[in-house]
Amino acid sequence: MAFELLQCHLRILFLWLVAMALVLAAEGGVLFSSLEETMVVTADIQGQNWTDGPRIRTARVGDDHMLIKWALNSTLTGLGVDREYTTVKIRLCFAPISQVERGWRKTNNDLRKDKTCSIPITSQKYTTEGNFTDWTIRRNVPGASYFVRVYVSDVNGTQLAYGQTTDRLKTSNLIIIQPITGRHLSIDVASVVFSISSVGALLGFLIAEFRRMK
Amino acid sequence: MAPTPPTWRLDNESVGEPGSSLHGVTGHEPTFLPTIDPVHEHDDQPGAPPTDLKGRPFKLPVDSEHKAKTVRIWTIHRPHMLAFHLSWFSFMVCFFSTFAAPPLMPVIRENLNLDKIDIGNAGVASVAGAVVSRVLMGTICDLLGPRFGASSLMLITAPAVFCMSLVTDPTGFVLVRFFIGFCLATFVSCQFWMSSMFNTKVVGIANGTAAGWGNMGGGIVQLVMPGVFHIIRHNIGSNDFTAWRIAFFIPGVIQVFVGIVVLIFGQDLPDGNYSELKRKGDKVNDSFKKVFLYAVTNYRMYIFALTYGYCFGVELTIDNIIAQYFYDRFDLNLTTAGTVAASFGLMNLFSRPLGGVLSDLAAARWGMRGRLWCSWTIQTLGGISCIILGVVGQLGPAIVVLLLFSFFVQAACGTTFGIIPFISRRSLGIISGATGAGGNVGAVVTQAIFFLNSSYPTERGILYMGIMIVCCTLPVCFVYFPQWGSMFCGPSKSVTEADYYKSEWNKDEQSRGLHKASMKFAENAKSERGSQHGSIAAKEGLEDANTKGETAV
Repeated sequence: MAFELLQCHLRILFLWLVAMALVLAAEGGVLFSSLEETMVVTADIQGQNWTDGPRIRTARVGDDHMLIKWALNSTLTGLGVDREYTTVKIRLCFAPISQVERGWRKTNNDLRKDKTCSIPITSQKYTTEGNFTDWTIRRNVPGASYFVRVYVSDVNGTQLAYGQTTDRLKTSNLIIIQPITGRHLSIDVASVVFSISSVGALLGFLIAEFRRMK
Repeated sequence: MAPTPPTWRLDNESVGEPGSSLHGVTGHEPTFLPTIDPVHEHDDQPGAPPTDLKGRPFKLPVDSEHKAKTVRIWTIHRPHMLAFHLSWFSFMVCFFSTFAAPPLMPVIRENLNLDKIDIGNAGVASVAGAVVSRVLMGTICDLLGPRFGASSLMLITAPAVFCMSLVTDPTGFVLVRFFIGFCLATFVSCQFWMSSMFNTKVVGIANGTAAGWGNMGGGIVQLVMPGVFHIIRHNIGSNDFTAWRIAFFIPGVIQVFVGIVVLIFGQDLPDGNYSELKRKGDKVNDSFKKVFLYAVTNYRMYIFALTYGYCFGVELTIDNIIAQYFYDRFDLNLTTAGTVAASFGLMNLFSRPLGGVLSDLAAARWGMRGRLWCSWTIQTLGGISCIILGVVGQLGPAIVVLLLFSFFVQAACGTTFGIIPFISRRSLGIISGATGAGGNVGAVVTQAIFFLNSSYPTERGILYMGIMIVCCTLPVCFVYFPQWGSMFCGPSKSVTEADYYKSEWNKDEQSRGLHKASMKFAENAKSERGSQHGSIAAKEGLEDANTKGETAV
C-alpha cells in the first residue's frame, strides 16, 4: 500500500519535472565577442615604478593601493562612439593562469555566465575626459594573477564596450596579488588549547575508568 | 524458577577477534551477543519489575536480557533511550565535523588557493579514513564498550577539527580532512550500542533510525556553517578568510562536548558499563581463519559491498560536492546553496528508516525475493534521478530532483541492511563490516573518477555517477539464496534455511555442536519465505529465543 502511494506521487512529480524542463530559460546575455575595446585602462600600484618589458607586478592585500585610470581611446574621441555610454564598471579579473583547474573562474563568452571578472572594484559615471579611482585591495581578494577591466554600459545596464590593462591573450601586464592568510595568533593559541583539552579529557576519563576496574 | 539457558548461548564471539567484533552492526544479531553476566546474579523475581545492578527498575519494558522491547523516541529513560539519543547524536556530530568544510568551500578555496584537483582530493580523503577506522571500531567496541569507542574516537579526532583553523595550503587541507574523516567510524559504535540495548523485535527500527538521524548531520552542517560564518563576518566583523577559521571551532567544541557527555551519561549495557561487569561464561573461540574464509568465499558479500558503495558512497559524495555545485551552477549565495544542500542530508530523517520498513514490508509479502527487488528498484530509481539531476539546468526542478534522489539513495541504504543479516550467520561481522567499508570505498572511487578532473563540468560528473549507480546495482539480480531464490529464480526445493546456514560449518564442527547458534537463526529466518510460508514457524523461533522469564509490561 505504501508502495502504490509512492508510485502515484512519483508519477505526479515526474510529469511536473518534464513540464518544468520544457520551460525555456532563454536568458542569453551580451556576448563578450560583440563588444569593442574602446577604452584605455591603466592600473598602477602606488609606490611601484614601471619598467618596459614583461611587466608583472606584485601587490599586497591591505597594504597596497591601486590607482586605476580609464578614458575613451583618444583616437575615438568626437566620433560619437560614446553616445550611449552611461556607467563604467571597474572589475578585477583573473588571468588565464589563475583559471586553470578552477571552473568557478571560467571565461564564458556570454557575459551573464562569465566568471572571469567576479571581483568588483567600483562603478563610476562615464565622462568623456575619463576618470580614476584609488582602490585599497580588499582583504577577501584571493591570491592570484589579475588584470583590470572596465565595462561600459548604457542606461539599461547592457554592456556596450570594454577596456583592459592587458592584451587580448591576457598574458602581459599582469598583477600578482598576495593575499592574507586569515590566521591570527589568538586563533592558533585557541586551537592548541582546545586540542590539548580534548585529548586530556579523554586520558583523564580512561585513567579513572581503569582505576575503577581495579 | 528460571528455565535453563538454551545451549545455543555458547557463541562464536570472542574478545578482540577481528571480524567477530562487528556483531551488532546490522542489528539482527543481538540474540547471540557474548554472554556477559553481571557481577551479581539478576534472577528477576517473578511479578516484580526488573531492576539493574543498582536496584533501579527499568522505565521501559525489557526482555530477559534487560534489552528494551520498545523504542520510545520522545523520552530519555535511562539506560536504553538515553543510549539511543547519545548514540545517534554522537554519530550526527561526527558527520557534522566531517562535512563542515564543503558548505564553506567557495571561501576556503580562495583562501587556500585550492584548485579542482585539491578539492577533489580532500573530498576523497575525508571518506577514505573511515574505511579502516570502521573495521577497527568493532574491535574497540568489544574491548572497551561502545561508550568508550564512540567518545574516544570523537575526542581523538577533535584536535584535527581544531587544526583546520591553522591550515594555509592545499596539502594541509587534504591532511586535516583525512584525519577528521576517521570519526565516521562512530557508525559502528552506534549500531553496536543499539544492538546491546534493544531486543530483536525493535532493534531494526532503533538501528535504522539511529543511522538515518546520524546521517542527517551531513545535511544540518550545510545550514549551520554558512550561518555561523555570516554571523562571524557581520556581527563580529572578521574578514572572510578569518571568519571561516573561527567557524570551525563550532564543530570542534560540539564534538568535545558530546564526547564528554557520552562518557559521563552513557552506559554500555542495560545493566551497567563494561568496567562494572565481569565477563563470564564459557566461550567458544571461533577460528578467525574460518570466519574470514566463509566471508571471502561468499560472492554476495562483494555484490553488496559494491551496491552499498553506490548508495551510501554516493550519499557521502553528494555531501561533499553539492553545496559548491549549487553555488557555482545556479549562482546562489553561500547560505542559499547551503540550504539546498542541507535538504539532501535532512531527508535522512525518514528516508533511511523508511527504506528498512519498505524492505520489511516486501519481505512480509514476498520474502527475500521481495527484499531483493525492493533494494534493486529503489537503488536504480536513485541512479535514474541522479542522471536527471545532472541534466536539469533550472534551479526549481533541480531541487525537486535532488530531494527525490536523496530519498531513493538513502532508502537504498536502509534496504541493503535489511538483506545483510541473512547472507551469513557465521561471518556476519566481517560481511557487515565489509559492506560498511564498501560504502566508503564507493565514495572514494566515485569522487576520484568523476569529480577530480576539469575535463568536464560537475554536472556531467553527476550524470556519469547516475549511470554508474544503475550499472553497479545490476549485480543484485545475481544474488541467489538457494532456500529463497533470487530476483528472477525461485527457490531450490531441496535446500532449506538450515542447510544453507549449516553449510558454513564442517562435519567436525557440527559434531561438536558449534553450529547450533546458526540453527536457531535459521529457524527465525523462515520468515524470509514470505507470507505464504513459515511466518508462524518464525514466530515460534523468536519466542524460544527470548524465553527466560520474559517480563510483562
